[in-house]
Amino acid sequence: MRKSLYETDEAIMEGIRNDDDRALAHLYKLHFPMISHFIISNSGTDDEAKDIYQEGVIVFYEKIKGNSLELSCQIKTYLYSVCRRLWLKRLAEKGRYANRIEDSENYLSLEEDVPQHEENERQFGVMAEALDQLGEPCRTLLEDFYIRAQGMQDIVEKFGYTNTDTAKNQKYKCLQRLKKLFFTSYKPEV
Amino acid sequence: MFDHRIYEQIERYLAGSMPAEEKAAFEALLHSDPRLADQVQEHRQVLHAMKHYGQRQQLRHKLNSIHTEMEGGSQSVNSELRAWKVFFKKHAQTMAVAASVSLLSVFGTLWSVQQIKKPVQQQTARYVELRREVEKIKKEQRAIINGIASADAATPAPRSARFSGTGFAISPDGYIVTSSHVIQGADSILIENKAGLKYKVTEVHRNIDYDLTILKVEDPAFAGFSKLPYTFKTTASDLGERVYTLGFPREDIVFGEGSLSSASGFEGDTTSYQISIPLNPGNSGGPLLDDKGNVIGVINGKQAGQEGAAFAVKSSYLLQMVKEMKERESGLSVSLPQQNNLSGASRTQQLKKLQDYIFVVKVYN
Repeated sequence: MRKSLYETDEAIMEGIRNDDDRALAHLYKLHFPMISHFIISNSGTDDEAKDIYQEGVIVFYEKIKGNSLELSCQIKTYLYSVCRRLWLKRLAEKGRYANRIEDSENYLSLEEDVPQHEENERQFGVMAEALDQLGEPCRTLLEDFYIRAQGMQDIVEKFGYTNTDTAKNQKYKCLQRLKKLFFTSYKPEV
Repeated sequence: MFDHRIYEQIERYLAGSMPAEEKAAFEALLHSDPRLADQVQEHRQVLHAMKHYGQRQQLRHKLNSIHTEMEGGSQSVNSELRAWKVFFKKHAQTMAVAASVSLLSVFGTLWSVQQIKKPVQQQTARYVELRREVEKIKKEQRAIINGIASADAATPAPRSARFSGTGFAISPDGYIVTSSHVIQGADSILIENKAGLKYKVTEVHRNIDYDLTILKVEDPAFAGFSKLPYTFKTTASDLGERVYTLGFPREDIVFGEGSLSSASGFEGDTTSYQISIPLNPGNSGGPLLDDKGNVIGVINGKQAGQEGAAFAVKSSYLLQMVKEMKERESGLSVSLPQQNNLSGASRTQQLKKLQDYIFVVKVYN
């Protein structure tokens, strides 16, 4: 019953747009075997397959969320193409150039999507690093405020500040430091 | 110089929650103060990155939980199975090619072997036909004497048929011995040797038990044979002795050689030897000789369906029969040969001397 809900690509995409986790889960389970097969038959492991596939799904997910996806083919083909490209890159990084890739599906070249994704990845890598270096309680404070979008009042209570002004001041200092950390290692490519 | 109030302002500006006039004032300030503009830009970027980062973390988390849910408990079993599947899918083409090549070569080899064999088969086939023709001729000319067991059944032959066997002289007086079954039901009997001498003969004595018959030449012009070169052995011969025979399985005389393989004959018959000479219908009645040229028996049959098992009546019974005949019809002059001219001669010399005394026995009825 559940399955029939997401029978078409459109239904899946609609589900993801509406933040339906079941649609995402369905999509994920549907195409994993294909990618797993591709990675494993091209000298990868189970874990690498999982990694690459998740990245592929993330690319797809964010494209849909950002409404920037003009899908000219099936989701399956899109995912395969993305994962293929990501895997080739990974192989190159490992210093192993696959002289012959065993393809089981058609694929697109995806000149734009993947580089965009890689740029994002780089940014996130820097961000993760900056947050790590920031240390507690700054990190949690910023995450609570900006990511989890908690109210200032909650934060004051959680961290035990005397009033919102202290909290705001603390947040300001933390953000200042984060900016510094972030921009020392991250130079946006123009 | 920047404190958190300015940050708040920037954030409110970025979130778009500024009142219209404050926003206009702020934008004007941005234009005039490039440092502030930079700050805003940076702020936007950091916030954006952070927000995205958070979303991404969440998504990763979600996907991970989906993945673990998907793999469930039987993951280790699955992965092995999957590895096999992958292996198979990867090499399926190669395997298919290999399989078809091997199939092709197997059947190709079988086929070509068959092709090579074909001419041979044709040859044997022709040979069989040829033999059948020979057999047809034989049917008209010769008795089909095939073993003691079948001998009786074979003899009630069609009246018009002619049979033949082999016979040999036992005394210069014109006495010939042959197998009884050869001349069974005969109207008239003719003998002929390789030299072309032909005589009409009649049956003078028969012993069904020994399957032996003595014939006598009836021709008035007959002057007797010359001195026989062989003698008859009175004692039993030893196992493994080399023996040979001459006979007429065809129109021409045929030599056959072998050894004495048993002291008893068919189904333990003590009157016969078993010998390992290849024999054919027509050999019946032929002499069985040992190396020294002694007649040790008379060929009388072979066992159908068994290799190399032929039989010959022992010569002592032949002598006994001659004695019986003498007793019954006193006054017969049967002078058995006493001197052997063959011992010491080579086999070919023996045969040359012998063949004049071997006859084809032709039976008409």
